[in-house]
Amino acid sequence: MRYFIFFCLFFNSLSLAQEALTNHSNLFSPTNVRKFADYLFTQRDYLRAIEEYQRYPSILENDTVNFKIGFAYSEIGHNQQAAEQFLNTSSKSIFFDLSKLEYLKSIFKENNFEKYRYTFENLKLKENYIYFQKAKELFYFSYLFSDECLPPKVKFLETFSSNQNEISKFYDWKTDPPYKSALTAVILSSIIPGAGKIYTEKYADGIIAFLATGILGYISYTDFKAAHRFRAWVFSALTAGFYGGNIYGSAASAFIFNAKIKFDFIESLKNFLEKNNYFIPKINF
Amino acid sequence: MQNNKKIFFTIFLIIFCNGLKAQDALKTQFNFAKTLYENEKYFDAITELKRLIFFDSSKTYFYEANKIIGDCYKMGGKFSEAILYYANSENAAISDSEIFDERINQIRVNILRRTTDRALMMLDSLSSDKRFLNKINCINYWKGWSYIFSDDWEKAANAFAKTDSSSKLVAFCKEVHSKKYSISFATLISHFIPGAGQIYAGHIWSGLLSLGWNVLWGYTSINAFIDNRIFDGIIVSDLLWLRFYIGNIQNAEKFSKEENLSITNSALHFLQFEYRGVKP
Repeated sequence: MRYFIFFCLFFNSLSLAQEALTNHSNLFSPTNVRKFADYLFTQRDYLRAIEEYQRYPSILENDTVNFKIGFAYSEIGHNQQAAEQFLNTSSKSIFFDLSKLEYLKSIFKENNFEKYRYTFENLKLKENYIYFQKAKELFYFSYLFSDECLPPKVKFLETFSSNQNEISKFYDWKTDPPYKSALTAVILSSIIPGAGKIYTEKYADGIIAFLATGILGYISYTDFKAAHRFRAWVFSALTAGFYGGNIYGSAASAFIFNAKIKFDFIESLKNFLEKNNYFIPKINF
Repeated sequence: MQNNKKIFFTIFLIIFCNGLKAQDALKTQFNFAKTLYENEKYFDAITELKRLIFFDSSKTYFYEANKIIGDCYKMGGKFSEAILYYANSENAAISDSEIFDERINQIRVNILRRTTDRALMMLDSLSSDKRFLNKINCINYWKGWSYIFSDDWEKAANAFAKTDSSSKLVAFCKEVHSKKYSISFATLISHFIPGAGQIYAGHIWSGLLSLGWNVLWGYTSINAFIDNRIFDGIIVSDLLWLRFYIGNIQNAEKFSKEENLSITNSALHFLQFEYRGVKP
């Protein structure tokens, strides 16, 4: 009997523990809401996690929670809200230094590079700021996105503590982009039909343009020679059309080529930053 | 002895009440989430159901909560998430009937997001499963819908014909199939009579224009060969006649496809808004 009573009490205590968790009002107690929000955060359900964290002011008193909210906003691309959240981090918080860096990252992610540089300089980050180097790396990297003059290569590269080879390639790409001149393409196509397209690396188009213009021109020439005037004029018109089209097409091809180069460059920069987490150390929550 | 009985009864009562209380709280949460779902507040419903799952250590509501989360995601057009939660629900299912229902839910979402190959694969696996031999009508019904969404109306009609109560759908699918243009026929006749494929697909003026161009350049190139202007003949036939001849075949295929797409879209529109039966 004694054992039975002991077993019952033990089982009862388990049941009580479950009750503590599952009483309906308890599901919404600050402790349980916090637990649930943490769970959502680890599941990367950031929007719901933010809502849960913001449910009680008492939860928001926690530094980690505030940092997590900013981080969650940043992850779902709400950069402005992330910036506001990080900016409001208390100077007493252990996340204060990291928040500054995340704040800068949020501005960077908004593609507002001028604001980034202005903020970086006005935050008056000191050399003893633990993440000064990281913020500085992002500061210099922002020049690759904008049309402003780049700092000298040596000064630029010495800022970065790692990945210098890759960044050096970006620098070269930015200072001397492999663009094709539309004027050169037009001139080349005017002299040799299709040459402009070959110049813009559209080899098949270039050869076809050359053959089409050449053959049609030759037919119109032989038709004029054989006094087939009507056919000769028809083929002359076709030749002129192909010739003009080849010149226009070469210019368009150069513009398309340049747009693709620019797009690829920006994408490579973004991929590089994503891969390196914007030079920010990863936090294991 | 009498004393022992009293103690036993009291302890039993305490345990029983505590257990009831815990279950009651979870049930209240489940009903709360369900009400949100019924009121179409899908975001909030998902949050509350996730909360329920998180705190339901006994996994009492695991099946139903995951199922409703799947429904919410489906209603919100988040099909991948819906499938994930239906799969969770399937894992928590106890009876064969529950497993079947959850697989069908996944199949329906696959149909909606047009991953019909996956839907058909899952349906084949269901039909080869001995547990679901009595559900063959339902399996064929969803096979029919999978074929509709993969634009194979003839197979859809055949699949619906194997069910007991889909005669309207059989007739409808057959009608849509008969309305559609045969792409191979359109391209074939374009090989023999330029423009004929386009006229068959209902683009009469384009077909006539194509015929005109082919006649013009065909005549010019044949004339050049007759006049022994071989080079002219080769160039005109290769650069102009061939271009319009191939263009006529390509257009026949393109117009047939466009017309078929329009027929399919109007059929799907009808099914979406007018058909009263169960839909994906």
